[in-house]
Amino acid sequence: MTLSRRNVLKIGGAAAALPLLGQKAFSQTEPLKVGFIYIGTINDNGWNYAHNQGRLYMEQELGDAVESVFVENVAEGPDCERVMRELVQAGCKLIFATSFGYGDYVIKIAQQFPDVKFEHATGYQRSENVATYNARFYEGRAVCGTLAGHLSKTGKAGYIGSFPIPEVVMGVNAFVLAARKVNPDFTITPVYISTWNDPAREADAARAMIDQGIDVIAQHTDGPAALQVAEERGIVGGFGQGADMSAFAPKAQLTSIIDNWGPHYAATAKAVIDGTWESKDSWPGLKEGEVVIGDYNESIPDDVVAAAEAVKNGQIDGSMHIFTGPINDHTGAEKVAAGVTLTDADLLSMDWYVEGVIPPA
Amino acid sequence: MPFRLEKRPAPSRLMLYATPFGALALTMIAGALVFSLIGYDGLAAVQQIFITPLTSTFRWQDLAVKASPLIIIGVGLAVAYRANVWNIGAEGQYIVGGLTGTWVALATHGMTGIWILPAMVLAGMAGGMAYAAIPAFFKTRFNVNEILTSLMLTYASVQLVYYVVRGPWKDPMGMGFPQTRVFSEAARLPNMIPGTIVHWGVPVALLVALVVWFVMSRSVFGYRIKVVGAAPKAARYAGFSTNATIWLALLVSGGLAGLAGVLEVAGPFQRMVPGFPTNYGFTAIIVAFLARLHPIGVIFAAIVLAVTFVGGDLAQTTTGLPSAASGIFQAMLLFFLLAGDILVRYRVRRVSSQPAAGVRAAAEAQP
Repeated sequence: MTLSRRNVLKIGGAAAALPLLGQKAFSQTEPLKVGFIYIGTINDNGWNYAHNQGRLYMEQELGDAVESVFVENVAEGPDCERVMRELVQAGCKLIFATSFGYGDYVIKIAQQFPDVKFEHATGYQRSENVATYNARFYEGRAVCGTLAGHLSKTGKAGYIGSFPIPEVVMGVNAFVLAARKVNPDFTITPVYISTWNDPAREADAARAMIDQGIDVIAQHTDGPAALQVAEERGIVGGFGQGADMSAFAPKAQLTSIIDNWGPHYAATAKAVIDGTWESKDSWPGLKEGEVVIGDYNESIPDDVVAAAEAVKNGQIDGSMHIFTGPINDHTGAEKVAAGVTLTDADLLSMDWYVEGVIPPA
Repeated sequence: MPFRLEKRPAPSRLMLYATPFGALALTMIAGALVFSLIGYDGLAAVQQIFITPLTSTFRWQDLAVKASPLIIIGVGLAVAYRANVWNIGAEGQYIVGGLTGTWVALATHGMTGIWILPAMVLAGMAGGMAYAAIPAFFKTRFNVNEILTSLMLTYASVQLVYYVVRGPWKDPMGMGFPQTRVFSEAARLPNMIPGTIVHWGVPVALLVALVVWFVMSRSVFGYRIKVVGAAPKAARYAGFSTNATIWLALLVSGGLAGLAGVLEVAGPFQRMVPGFPTNYGFTAIIVAFLARLHPIGVIFAAIVLAVTFVGGDLAQTTTGLPSAASGIFQAMLLFFLLAGDILVRYRVRRVSSQPAAGVRAAAEAQP
């Protein structure tokens, strides 16, 4: 039996199924059991893959102190409530719910099990034992937008989103704000496909937008489908989202925004073990290394890479914030005055587009 | 081909009722084999998926909640399929039922009164019926295949959900998130047993199955549905209108799917979200067939399918089985059931390569 992920899980799972066998006999202190629920499969090479990598990192960092289990393809509805309850019954004391739509149910289930800690990714509702966490993806979007501004020939980008929620809207806005600093005529067209993961629909949306003249594509969905279309059609390119996707689009992937959840998962599990966990919202970004910019494509000229790096480093050292005014909304009216920077609260409720976004019908 | 299917004059009643159990057994055996061959612990997988969900009382509530929409939709489909009306779009009728119920909940937001829930239920049933009326109209007026129309309308209804939660019904306090506001207390289905998640939809589902069973076996309506389905020509001689039966079959199955939808949105969901469509309407097709289109059988078939859903999630955490496993087991179940049906209704005859000679030989063999 090789020590593959599956087998590690199998052993962990077997132990999970038999909590009565007295794990205390084998180890001094009982390991903290951590449960993860994913909206898609860990093989999506994007969002869920990145969370699972984070889980594995946590296991590696904390060794015997933790064990973890995960459940894939958990729908955003009453099903996730049941799955979380199962995880609690199986002995999990810390549960990471890694999709936005789990929110209501996390709050509900957390009331029933006050001694279990819950962490909800990208959510906004907290309680005594529910914390929220997210990453400042928009910082990465600003880097991608800079590349797009320099490289696009048509000055038009497409953006495949799931739902027009603030999380996604702020990514669209950050992208086009950065691109327009380079090319003031740059425009972006968001398309919402109402799901986090549907490769066929993502690819269709990408094709349709390419036919309409975009030559750069970005996506806020879970997989590499749009990038694959970009590769196939030979447009300027696109960006890996969640993880490096260059294996699927070696030419088309200009760079990638890598979600590095591992340190957060390890630190959170450690805090629960040490008894120092508390309910809060954590929203780190490039500076803390939770958002990482992947390798730049070799085809990108050095001066463009340098421009992208400058935007990245500016956000790391705090000298630059992409949402600093003057910012106009998509109708051209001034929304943010010169020198003013939007607060986190403004960002987390963002429901308007900046200039350069062609809003979907 | 040296084999041929020959219709049996009368399928054995015993076999007819034994095949669902046989299919279940074969599914478990084949599943254990397949998953063992690709490197999992096949026996543990079968145990996790089919047995473990039944072993603890706290999981029974999950089964009950998961099975009740399947029962309500499945009973309606059983009626329609009895009449040879192939409503494949119960998912769409379920969704529209949920939407019309949501409409009442939002229109009465902040009000109190025990009339709100019944009004929602009526609206949900009416919505499901109205949505099923579209295929009924096209079928009876233009002879358009109801399989196609009802199926395609499902996709339209999903888009309708996306539209309303983003636009007109978006939660004003929801920071732009695409969902309606949480229903007020009076529009939520109360829990039947405090401390559990078992809501009043569960007894309603059982009641629906009993009532439909009674109607189908004791009333002229039930008789008529069965005759039209089993012997359309005889039905015409008897003066039963085929068109009226098509309308009835679709309205009953659509209305029940709508009922399931409104109970689901008022119970477990308590608000409309983009994740509302969860394929209950499609799973209920397997339920109806597994139940032999019998309303009481539907109760048990729905529990079997609910077990595979709950068990599928369990098997992921305990044996590391991929999430597709429960879908594979459900598909095998339907496959073995339909295959078994063929063998119950037809017999396999060996024929020689020259059919004429074969027929003669067979004729001579008859005493």
